[in-house]
Amino acid sequence: MSNDLVHYVSQAPFDPTAIEALTPEQEQFYMASQWRMMWWRLKRHRVAVIAGIVLILSYCSIIVTEFLAPYDLHSRHTEHIYAPPQGLHLFHEGRFVGPFVYGLTYRLDMENLKRVYTPDTRDTQVIRYFCDGDEYEFWGLFKGRTHLVCPARGGTLFLLGTDRLGRDMASRLLYAGRISLTVGLVGIIISFILGITIGGMAGYFGGWVDSVVQRVIEILRSLPELPLWMALSAALPVTWSPILVFLGITVILGFLDWPGLARAVRSKLLALREEDYCTAAKLMGARPGRIIGRHLLPNFMSHLIASATLSIPSMILGETALSFLGLGLRPPVTSFGVLLTEAQNIEAVALYPWLLLPMLPVVVLVLGFNFLGDGLRDAADPYTDL
Amino acid sequence: MLNYLARRFLTVILTLLVISALVFVIIQLPPGDFLSTYMAELESQGEIVSPDKIEHMRRQYGLDKPLIEQYFVWVTGLIQGDLGFSFEYNLPVTEVVGDRLLLSMVLNFATILFIYVVSFPIGVYSATHQYSWGDYGLTLLGFLGLATPNFLLALIMLYFANVYFGTSVGTLMDDVYLNQPWSIDKAISVVEHLWVPVFVIGTSGTAGMIRRLRANLLDELQKQYVITGRAKGLPAGRLLVKYPLRMALNPFVADIGNMLPQVVSGSVIVSAVMSLPTTGPMLLEALKSQDMYLAGSFVMFLALLTVIGIFISDLLLTALDPRIRMHGTAQR
Amino acid sequence: MSGNLRCLAPVAIAVLACFPARADPIPATYIETPMLAAKVAAGELPAVGQRVPRVPVVVTFVGKERTIGRHGGTLRTVSGRRKDIQLMVVYGYARLVGYDTEFNLQPDILERVDVERDRIFTLHLRKGHRWSDGHPFTTEDFRYFWEDIATDADVSPVGPPRTMLVEGERPRFEILGETTVRYSWSKPNPFFLPALAGTAPLFIYRPAHYLKQFHASHAHPVDIMRRVKEAGQRNWVSLHFRHDRMYKNDNPDLPSLQPWVNSTPPPAQRYVFVRNPYFHRVDSEGRQLPYIDQVAMSIASAKLVPVKVGGGESDLQARNLQFNNYTFLKQGEKRNGYTVRLWQSAKGSKMALFPNLNIDDPVWRTLFRTTDFRRALSLGTDRHEINQVIYFGLALESNNTVLPRSPLYRKIYARQWADFDLVQANRLLDDLGLTKRDERGIRLLPDGRTMEIIVETAGEDTEQTDVLQLVHDGWIKLGIKLHAKPRQREVFRNRVFAGLAQMSVWSGLENGVPTPDLSPEELAPTSQQQLQWPKWGQYYQTMSKAGQPVDMKSAQELARLNADWRFADNRKTKEDIWRKMLKIHADEVFSIGLISGVPQPVVVSNRLRNVPEEAIYNWNPGAFFGIYRPDTFWFADDGKPGSK
Repeated sequence: MSNDLVHYVSQAPFDPTAIEALTPEQEQFYMASQWRMMWWRLKRHRVAVIAGIVLILSYCSIIVTEFLAPYDLHSRHTEHIYAPPQGLHLFHEGRFVGPFVYGLTYRLDMENLKRVYTPDTRDTQVIRYFCDGDEYEFWGLFKGRTHLVCPARGGTLFLLGTDRLGRDMASRLLYAGRISLTVGLVGIIISFILGITIGGMAGYFGGWVDSVVQRVIEILRSLPELPLWMALSAALPVTWSPILVFLGITVILGFLDWPGLARAVRSKLLALREEDYCTAAKLMGARPGRIIGRHLLPNFMSHLIASATLSIPSMILGETALSFLGLGLRPPVTSFGVLLTEAQNIEAVALYPWLLLPMLPVVVLVLGFNFLGDGLRDAADPYTDL
Repeated sequence: MLNYLARRFLTVILTLLVISALVFVIIQLPPGDFLSTYMAELESQGEIVSPDKIEHMRRQYGLDKPLIEQYFVWVTGLIQGDLGFSFEYNLPVTEVVGDRLLLSMVLNFATILFIYVVSFPIGVYSATHQYSWGDYGLTLLGFLGLATPNFLLALIMLYFANVYFGTSVGTLMDDVYLNQPWSIDKAISVVEHLWVPVFVIGTSGTAGMIRRLRANLLDELQKQYVITGRAKGLPAGRLLVKYPLRMALNPFVADIGNMLPQVVSGSVIVSAVMSLPTTGPMLLEALKSQDMYLAGSFVMFLALLTVIGIFISDLLLTALDPRIRMHGTAQR
Repeated sequence: MSGNLRCLAPVAIAVLACFPARADPIPATYIETPMLAAKVAAGELPAVGQRVPRVPVVVTFVGKERTIGRHGGTLRTVSGRRKDIQLMVVYGYARLVGYDTEFNLQPDILERVDVERDRIFTLHLRKGHRWSDGHPFTTEDFRYFWEDIATDADVSPVGPPRTMLVEGERPRFEILGETTVRYSWSKPNPFFLPALAGTAPLFIYRPAHYLKQFHASHAHPVDIMRRVKEAGQRNWVSLHFRHDRMYKNDNPDLPSLQPWVNSTPPPAQRYVFVRNPYFHRVDSEGRQLPYIDQVAMSIASAKLVPVKVGGGESDLQARNLQFNNYTFLKQGEKRNGYTVRLWQSAKGSKMALFPNLNIDDPVWRTLFRTTDFRRALSLGTDRHEINQVIYFGLALESNNTVLPRSPLYRKIYARQWADFDLVQANRLLDDLGLTKRDERGIRLLPDGRTMEIIVETAGEDTEQTDVLQLVHDGWIKLGIKLHAKPRQREVFRNRVFAGLAQMSVWSGLENGVPTPDLSPEELAPTSQQQLQWPKWGQYYQTMSKAGQPVDMKSAQELARLNADWRFADNRKTKEDIWRKMLKIHADEVFSIGLISGVPQPVVVSNRLRNVPEEAIYNWNPGAFFGIYRPDTFWFADDGKPGSK
């Protein structure tokens, strides 16, 4: 009866499919594959993205290490043993000169038997780019001389100082990264394969297969790591070349890591194999391998990837620990572990602290993998809201 | 329940047997045996040992028997509680290990305590203030602890403790207390020296624990009953403690099984670097010189501890988490 | 590396035959040791006059560097291995006869030794000399060793120690009284006395009164069975053996003649060695040595020892300290009240390369046996650079030979073929016909393989890896590629012995300061430990049962000269033989010595006196500190650690 009430009826023509039509964004959203969605969620996790970029850069750098490093891995400078890091300057006496370092003057303190280096402020050594430096063999395939940065002619560029034979630490770090990063990757691949196959079989077939696998996992978990490492390293034939030893180490590390993954795979499969689509596939005659590989695994591949990413750091740390114990890689092969072992003495801590710098890349890498792994896991988790 | 217990117990025994075989093989793997190492050492000091004498000693020590026989001798001895005889120290293993075992346990226990005490508040804070600066900062700290290689950190901390605090290095107590019975002063001295190794070993364990606690707590906080509780007006603190936290304590209990081997292993390397009077350095030395009984029995002992630890933690978990009893698997 | 017990032969007969006790007068009165005064007053110990032998060793100090000291104090030291408690027997260096600082033999525990024709040795003990538990030290202890240990079929099924056998013949053992005993052979035994004086010596006596309770011939069978069960041993022989380790020094109940006696049962982290109240040396004012009351040895890991020492935890330390620790140790001097001295290590070479003349591979064997090849390798090594880079130029660049301090030294032994001369080296290689090279510039072997030498190391020393890196850079200019391969020590040695390893790295002559009266064994193929000819050495060692006979002329010459030396009867002949052998080594370059005379840092507390400023640091002879008599070191204050 009040004439304030207003009825509203749209005057537009009636389109019966309006409700069901999707805007382009919505269409994108609903039709997106699992991987797409993961990627979107990952992008929102800023720290993980940064970590991912750092890691990708690191892995890219190992492709061109010879080019990036100012010096060769083995080149040594007898007059610059235990030289401290040279600071990079831009301005010399107020003028912009470009990135340069001051030359080092060297004096031997016979009283303390110490080498004393003082920067010579009159000797500015400007860094050169895309220049000819130490000769190298690119990936052992062809020779080259071009480096990204080189010291000035007749000068030195020890951005991170030198070690006891006068070798540039920065270059050694880069070369060491190549080995350490590869160890992590190869090890994780081995662990992945082992974990998925064994865990998959245990989870899918159940019964006695499951029991046996569980027992094996338990045994491996209870064995104290250290004697196992020592024994396996001792078992590596002594006639192997450094490369083979290196591969052997990665196999050992991978071999010790698969139980974790296997357990995760197993528990997931135990739950998932009761699902309807799995039963349907079985009824249609699919073989167990196909069921596991095509239907079950993709369900939690994302979780697996996250797990794997989180395992790489333990491989890297494992390699450093093995090298420290003298069981892993040894010079002349250079990895972070080897570098750290060489710094494992009181002189490095008290007198030449720049030798401890290999710790930094290890920390950065481990952090990077952990953050990325965290991000991946959050992104892969289907139970939280987008 | 009893069925389950019995089955688990049997598997424990089986596991230990297999481990003993593995350990034996592992120790025998490097070429040579205790006597050849001993001989090498004598010769490098300029003493020449005649081959006849070596044969004689080999017979004395029972090293001339086939490996299988040596294995059985050892295992039967173990079952009877006879840990065997150390060639190196020329004493029964139990005497050699004696005092060090106590210190080892003190060290490991203190480390686990450190891990719990540190990770608990950090984990809770991280979960309740997710994605805040505090969360990121603390997680970063935790990861830093994980990422730094133990042995290097040990050396650095040793040096600084020595220079800035005057703590003597490489020992768990001041020299004067070394051979004396326990007293208040000795205990204080131990605590003074203990914090460095505990810190070094514990830092890597805290990161993992923080992450797990945070993840579990986050899961719980999103459950329906929490929202219900908040809607009903429960104060946030009380709400947190009464329900989700108890669930989130799962990993603390479950992880004893995981943490135990890690802590024991980690402490071996750090103890070796810092040369603490615990079992770690002794084990390393025994492995290197292939002192069969000492190394083997001790590794078995460690394995036994680990297996029992896992067993207990599984039991505890079963008791604590009804879901396991129902479904037969642990939620992770 | 070879057997040191045999390596050191006696001084000439004339000197030995008249071994007087030192002509210093026996003090009229003795000064009681403060640490033991209470016990003496309580009647538990006899007064000092009754504790020392009737004719003790009287030590006099000449010159300003060493002075009479006073009693008191605890000497702290650190060690990297638990086994190093046996070092107290080394440092204590109480021997029947011992080396003095000039490396001459002098009677120490013995009052006198009469030697007849180098084959009959009459040993005179000191009357009134007692073990550390007060029981008299008599010839019964020698008899116990000889009859109940060395020749007992159960205890020693392989017979007496080698140095007591002359071509398999056992000595005739006679007891001529309570303090006189005689050993006679039908042929000369020049190794007997040096074995007694060795750093890890031949002990021909035992505390019989203590050990009899563990011996089946002396103890009641029931007691023995009980003891065997209690100790968890297999039989009475192991029981006896376990209690009888005089050198290992791990049984605190075992009576001893050393200046300090272990009082801590193993295993422990810290061992305390307490003064021996019946020690046989006194100073000229009548104080019974040692001056220092106790030695406390802490066990740490080898890597931590420099840290601990740098933190002031040791009063006297050389063990486990290396040259590259010097800078760090110097830093801690002021803060911790010690000084770092540099003694000279007496090895013939700190590091030498040993081409394996017994290698299986025939091509390499021919090449290694070609003298000019070895000479070329030596000429291609830049020893100067090694010295500069690693040792600050403080070491000696020389071959693996005797050191300048030895009376046998001649410059030519050290420097022949030791210059860095790439031109000449390359020419030598070219003249050998090894002119073909591959595309990298590496020379080819006669059968076409590239000339790549794998040098194996025991992998324990980063210094070795560094040096090999430097050597590699030199040899690459000769067209030879060097690969360094670290191996575990066991494996390393076995590969060398078996002829599988091409070249190895190790230290050189064990004793770099010999006199002509010491055996030149190390220069001839006499031991498997000589890495350049392990199989020839093994042949000699096992008396032709294993190994290979020497089939190279120059090495045969060395073996002949070594045999001649044994029967040389005057010093001049011995010296000639030595010189011939040294010259052969210099000419033939059997081992490529790199560096010698490396300084050894020795940390000495500022409160400790009578420690030489400069000295030789050597295992045998030398006993590290032994010949400098740590029992004469003393603290110049009340001796309590921590006081400055």
